[in-house]
Amino acid sequence: MDKPDQRLFAADLESAEFRAGALKGYWGLAGAEVLPEQPEWPVRILWVQSATRAGAPDRFFLRLDLEGYRAVSPTGAFWDLNTGAALGAEKRPKGKEGSRCAKVFRTDWEGGRAFYHPYDRVAANGHPNWPTEQPSLIWDSNHTIVDYLEEVRSLLNSGDYLGI
Amino acid sequence: MAGEIELFIHSQGAKPKVAVAGPHEVLRDVLVRAEVLTEDLEDVLVFVGEWEEALIESGEIEDGEDAHHPVDVAMTIEALELHHHRHVHVHKCKRIAVEVHFNGRAKRHRFSPATTIAVVTQWARKKFDLDPAAGADYVLHICDTTKQPRPSEHLGEFVEPPVCSICFKLVKEITPQG
Repeated sequence: MDKPDQRLFAADLESAEFRAGALKGYWGLAGAEVLPEQPEWPVRILWVQSATRAGAPDRFFLRLDLEGYRAVSPTGAFWDLNTGAALGAEKRPKGKEGSRCAKVFRTDWEGGRAFYHPYDRVAANGHPNWPTEQPSLIWDSNHTIVDYLEEVRSLLNSGDYLGI
Repeated sequence: MAGEIELFIHSQGAKPKVAVAGPHEVLRDVLVRAEVLTEDLEDVLVFVGEWEEALIESGEIEDGEDAHHPVDVAMTIEALELHHHRHVHVHKCKRIAVEVHFNGRAKRHRFSPATTIAVVTQWARKKFDLDPAAGADYVLHICDTTKQPRPSEHLGEFVEPPVCSICFKLVKEITPQG
């Protein structure tokens, strides 16, 4: 039987917010055409659409650890389906120097295993000052995977996103 | 059933719902089944699509208004071209009066409830003459709250009639530090 966090995540994949974004090509769960089988729970591999940039893909895959979803926020980073490992720094999306995009996708922190963003569990746990500084980005159980994906997609479609 | 499509049904102050409908179904029946409409219409208006008219509004226009018209719920899914529009909005507000504050100035527009936060944000950046590149960091924040709506959310989800207005501040997103 699926665990409660797994059932909640599965239900959120059927939500209007997730389905509407998927229909627009904004995001999705990695399907059988690219991934024979999803990893064991609590890990899932999803993709997020990115703006067109020379030499860069039109989507990036994310490997997210969803243990305790939604009471606990996801954590994860970009994933390379070809190697079955974290996406190498040279293939990761880059942002203009000093931009929010560059900061969130930085690879010089925690070995690039998590997004440097208040919604990411690893990042949030290491920054007790963030809830005061960024009160609009505090993860709670009313947040869903769509909040997380929409933040990543916004950055991958911002003017500060440079490609890889 | 062949030709069935997914619809996304939005209503005031509630999370959107998914409904599946066939092309020859009448929209009213779909909305009743989804429990967002009772048999008597109770003065609600139904809009289809996601409305972006404000993006083509001239910069000189103050206090502009969208011209999104409600639809007849007796029409079928096919006739309403919902295979294309996908989104259905059930609301008591015909328009939502939006006021956006930035740098001591305010801009106003009466939007369709079927407008996304992304469109309102883009409209506001244009109205305040923010450079498109630098302006991308500016987002909408609901006045007197800590809430920053997602770009894909719709205005109608944030107001509770009889109040058909909302106030936002245009703020620069904080870059995580530390």
